[in-house]
Amino acid sequence: MEIKVLAFAGSPRRGGNSETLLDWVLASMGEIEGVVIEKIPLTEANVNPCRGCNACETLNRCVQRDGMDVLHDKIIEADCIILAAPIFCMGICAQAKALIDRFQVFRSRKYVLKLPVVPPERKGKRLGIFLSTAGQNWDHVFDGAVPSVKCFFHVIDVRDADIYYLMVNNVDEKGAILSHPTAKPDAVRMGKEVLAELKKRLGG
Amino acid sequence: MAVSVIGLSGSPHRHGNTETLLDAFLQGADSAGGQVEKVVLKGLDYNPCMGCNACHKTGECIVKDDAIPLFDRILAADCLAVASPIYSMGITAELKGLIDRAQFIWARKFILKNLYFSNEHIKRHKGIFISTAGLSWDNVFDAAFPAVTAFFNTLGFEYYDNIIANDMDRYGGIRGHPTALINARERGIQVVSLLEKMKGESP
Repeated sequence: MEIKVLAFAGSPRRGGNSETLLDWVLASMGEIEGVVIEKIPLTEANVNPCRGCNACETLNRCVQRDGMDVLHDKIIEADCIILAAPIFCMGICAQAKALIDRFQVFRSRKYVLKLPVVPPERKGKRLGIFLSTAGQNWDHVFDGAVPSVKCFFHVIDVRDADIYYLMVNNVDEKGAILSHPTAKPDAVRMGKEVLAELKKRLGG
Repeated sequence: MAVSVIGLSGSPHRHGNTETLLDAFLQGADSAGGQVEKVVLKGLDYNPCMGCNACHKTGECIVKDDAIPLFDRILAADCLAVASPIYSMGITAELKGLIDRAQFIWARKFILKNLYFSNEHIKRHKGIFISTAGLSWDNVFDAAFPAVTAFFNTLGFEYYDNIIANDMDRYGGIRGHPTALINARERGIQVVSLLEKMKGESP
């Protein structure tokens, strides 16, 4: 049985803290047989912001032709969707917010047109992971990002209880996460845990 | 000298609910004698922050685009109105892209420590957040506040007021809302009158 993992590296900084966290999760998932991983750095994905035209509420598709054309089917087909993004100025970085807002096409499908996003047999069998890092050491530094992340997952039929979070604060300069005491073991554990849960749900 | 008011419209959708609400605020500000300017972010050419942290060393952004002169204009204003609709429980990517670009000013304040806003300065510079949301939820604006708060703090503006209206889907847009536009206009008059009074008083 194949398990598809689709991961978005949302930071404009390649190889930085949030992407490192993602790489640890993906490496631990990659050790498990039958897992097919695709990582998409948003810096190369050509995803424009949503124009707010609401055309998807009637057309069931986005009027923009860009990188989302390729990503759309991958998002539906994946069993696990991961979004990794840093906190900039108390919110998710603008690049990741652009991707989140483009999920409006799924929101329109689900809540306006009342059409299925995934086939009924796959409902409840999709898991999401949000990975984030922040330079500030405040506990509440991720609070502004989480509601948008929930939207991102809810509209693609990942239930609220099926979103896993690993958010690491107090890592600012590139590479700071390497000396964090728990980030790597937590990431490795999360990768294994999510895949074990997916295997259980997919019956494999 | 007249109270200067700059309004940033962060919606990709021209003349929609949020921009209309901003316009009402700016009309009020104008009618009270304010010197008003509206900037439509969609019409500018700027990139989001690249997170390179080069500004942490120099206090300057290495990306030279429309965001840099805009920050000069923002810093010269007495009142900053920041407008964005709520998309996916947060502000638009356009506005967040600009907010993230303020990192070089943050770096001047907190890393290089060569920029300082006194409490008196902050008191005399008012920041106002203007927003609309389709959903009726009371918490629909909550996730927008932290980034807007950070933006005002970085730029030396006191976070003075929210002019926000939810449930746009039910009202059929801002023009169907019973009080929002009148209220925004009154707040525009109020903040300009207050800032004008403060200008007349010695610090």
